[in-house]
Amino acid sequence: MDQLPPDLFGPYDEHTQPQVPIPHYAGTYTRNPRRAPFRRPVTRTEATGPLDLTAKLRPGDINLSQVDGKLAQGQLIWVSGRILDEDGRPVPGALVEMWQANAAGRYFNPLDQRDAPLDPNFLGNGRCQADENGTYGFFTIKPGAYPVPNSNRWWRPPHIHFSILGPSSLSRLVTQMYFPGEPLNDHDLLILSISDREAQQRLVSRPVPTQDVEGEWLAFRHDMVVRGRHATPPL
Amino acid sequence: MSNLPNAPLVPLGWHTLGPFFPRTFFSPGDNDLTRLSPDAEATAQGQAVIIRGRVLQEGGGPCVNAVLEAWQADAHGHFRHPADPNHAKADAGFMGWGRAWTDAEGAYDFRTIIPGGYADPSGPRAPHINLGLLGSGIMRRLVTTLYFPAFAAANAADPVLSVLPAELRPHLVVQPDGEVEGTPAFRFDILLRGEAHEETPFFLD
Ligand SMILES: [Fe+3]
Repeated sequence: MDQLPPDLFGPYDEHTQPQVPIPHYAGTYTRNPRRAPFRRPVTRTEATGPLDLTAKLRPGDINLSQVDGKLAQGQLIWVSGRILDEDGRPVPGALVEMWQANAAGRYFNPLDQRDAPLDPNFLGNGRCQADENGTYGFFTIKPGAYPVPNSNRWWRPPHIHFSILGPSSLSRLVTQMYFPGEPLNDHDLLILSISDREAQQRLVSRPVPTQDVEGEWLAFRHDMVVRGRHATPPL
Repeated sequence: MSNLPNAPLVPLGWHTLGPFFPRTFFSPGDNDLTRLSPDAEATAQGQAVIIRGRVLQEGGGPCVNAVLEAWQADAHGHFRHPADPNHAKADAGFMGWGRAWTDAEGAYDFRTIIPGGYADPSGPRAPHINLGLLGSGIMRRLVTTLYFPAFAAANAADPVLSVLPAELRPHLVVQPDGEVEGTPAFRFDILLRGEAHEETPFFLD
């Protein structure tokens, strides 16, 4: 491959991406440039990326639902899906990081000082590597909603944060997954910062029929599409 | 959007990393690109350097709890990736990727090696390091590229640096900043939002 196909990494459709600033979210005012970003040619350095980060970012336990055999509080859920490229091809080996609040809507993070209970049996962080089919999955609990400080009572709907490191620097994705049927979804300022209605809906996971899941878990499927038109062949 | 069987899928919308990215996701050596893992020996070929600086937000205050991700070629300008035709020559002792985290002062640092330049269909790429910035309030990754002052001629010919108006290009060239235990250090401060002459230039991701 001497030259990258021009369609390899097209620009994002702006309607499918969040626009800033976002009302009541101070950081979107102070931490985003005034100047529009410069369009650059996509060269080798942008199209490549680390193919296996697991020596550095080590995959951990995919079961967040218990600590030392003691179950976390909340509804047990199984969240799984595939990491796909824009051609619908799986992205094998992608690293998937996730983190979330506990059932009471509080993060096990010293920066979250909200007066809601911590659950000693729920840390809420996971990291795994997608398999050869691009499949990932985590056993966890359904997170609670929480209010954003100093925001005129903007409540974040239940959500799971995801960070995906794919085979190219340009296939990097940080996003959040929402749950179907949550009333707060319709008012969430982060979801609403994306203007395209279908793009909003793609952030919402799909329920798996309960008959299809063994044990006392509710299950949700969430495929995540990262940028790129050509699956990365192995070296 | 079309429902044709081969219609391309649309990439998901970005969201902010938020304030609660787990600290336990960081290991002490994650910002050291010269090692393959935090507890490994430094195995990268090339001249080791420290890149350090501060990330500042509007008004000049520190941008705390931001995440920086670095990606670069090895000392000979090769990437261990199929999109690089010379990937077979890439330094097996170099992963080329690191992650750093800003402290209460907005300060970060990386340990890496000076990358090599290379010929690219778009033009001769000068030695450079790609930086991605994530953090609370940053809804989409901010990306920029840093260059070294020793390669002035190569920098002038670089097809990405050349995209910027001439007066903004010096923003992306790191400055000598002493040394750390014998390793030369360079400074790269980032201002996320400010007046036109002081704001760091970013590229469309
Ligand atoms: Fe959150």
